[in-house]
Amino acid sequence: MVAAGSPAARGFNCSNCGAPVELRALQHARAVACTSCGSILDPRDPNLRVLQKARSKESITPDIPLGTRGTWHGQPWEVIGFQRRSIEVDGIRYSWDEYVLFNPYRGFRYLSRYEGHWNDIRTVRELPEPTGSGKRPTIRYQGETYAHFQSATAHTDFVLGEFPWRVRLGDEVKVSDYNAPPYLLSSETTDDETTWSLGRYTDAQRIWQAFAVPGSPRTPSGVFANQPNPYKERASRSYRTLGLLLALFLVLVVGRLVTAAREQLLAARYTYQPKDQNAAFVTEPFAVRAPGTVEITLSADLTNAWIDFDLALINTDSGVAWNVERELSYYSGTDSDGAWSEGSRERRVLLPRIPAGEYYLRVEPEGEATSQPVSYVIQVRRDVPSLLPYGVALLLLVAPSIAATARSSSFERRRMQESDYGD
Amino acid sequence: MRTLYFLLGLLIAGTALMADTRGWFGASPSLIRNVPRSIRDNPGAYRSLYSGSPRLFGGK
Repeated sequence: MVAAGSPAARGFNCSNCGAPVELRALQHARAVACTSCGSILDPRDPNLRVLQKARSKESITPDIPLGTRGTWHGQPWEVIGFQRRSIEVDGIRYSWDEYVLFNPYRGFRYLSRYEGHWNDIRTVRELPEPTGSGKRPTIRYQGETYAHFQSATAHTDFVLGEFPWRVRLGDEVKVSDYNAPPYLLSSETTDDETTWSLGRYTDAQRIWQAFAVPGSPRTPSGVFANQPNPYKERASRSYRTLGLLLALFLVLVVGRLVTAAREQLLAARYTYQPKDQNAAFVTEPFAVRAPGTVEITLSADLTNAWIDFDLALINTDSGVAWNVERELSYYSGTDSDGAWSEGSRERRVLLPRIPAGEYYLRVEPEGEATSQPVSYVIQVRRDVPSLLPYGVALLLLVAPSIAATARSSSFERRRMQESDYGD
Repeated sequence: MRTLYFLLGLLIAGTALMADTRGWFGASPSLIRNVPRSIRDNPGAYRSLYSGSPRLFGGK
């Protein structure tokens, strides 16, 4: 409610249509638009001179009716004026609404609405300082840097109520917006002057509550110039958590690499004789002293040949065997593209969850019958760390942060699509 | 959300350690039980392909 002692509204009749016109801002108003016929009158003229007659029959009902009072920023304010303005970009007209708020002791401030996005606006006296003139110019105001967002010529399409300037339908001003969410610094330039105003993105529900507006505000669509990015802070927080996790993860991986036993259980060189009908053999027994992984490494001196191994790691006591089959092949040569090679002379096999105990390896090599004898080495080690699980874990660890960044970037892209710098 | 992410991260790291030490990303060997001790003396008698059937052991 308006504070006690605030001046009462004064009334007169429209000199164009005769309808009663209520004047709330009294001597502060420079123009008043008749709510009945839309004619714009000069409230300071004793004869209520008509500044501009209504041009069209268009009637727009503001979301917040004129005369509505509410408490905003802890002070009583009254809605005394409304205008609809528009800009034309690429042949498309975009319009927004502005409400004039008045407090006899505080002056004027404004609310703007575009596609369900609201801004709480006040004019500023200090001039922003240009700080950058590159592809996207920047200005500085009260320690904050604002980046140019959009410039256009705004056209006044519809007015109602009182204004602290001589508003006229068809007025055109050059507007430039600079954003630093949640703030928007805007300039309006006419032939005579440039005025600056600072808007802060505001939740419509707050306005509805403050001014007891019936119903619910329209759901915002799209991303507005100074709409705070809800994903930015989330992304930032997720990176802080990720940093901590990566530090712990690094300690874990290094600790594992340092403490892994990598105990060699067997290392022996053998020769495969292609003409040997029964090449299968068993190794000497060896002890696996702790349960865990066992790695078998096969390496052979192959040249344009292959050799296949049928391997069985057999527990001497329990008679349990773990069977795997691996082939080594290595071919190389030269052709019109130069030297080439394919295959590998070495392969590793990781056997999971091998219980402690005494084991031997049964090996059955097989190769081309016509090839030369192949010399190969078999190594068996236990508790050899594998980096693959940690690589997969690393991807999973960073995925939430990457997703948060992607959402934040997508939001900013949608914002910039509405700017002079969009795609 | 941050706590959930942290706890999830710890779970992922712990799972990676377990996967490493238990060889979850290793080979999937076929398992045969009750391999006779005589295989040490006659390695050619071992038949990994059919060894799910104990009767095949000692066939030679």
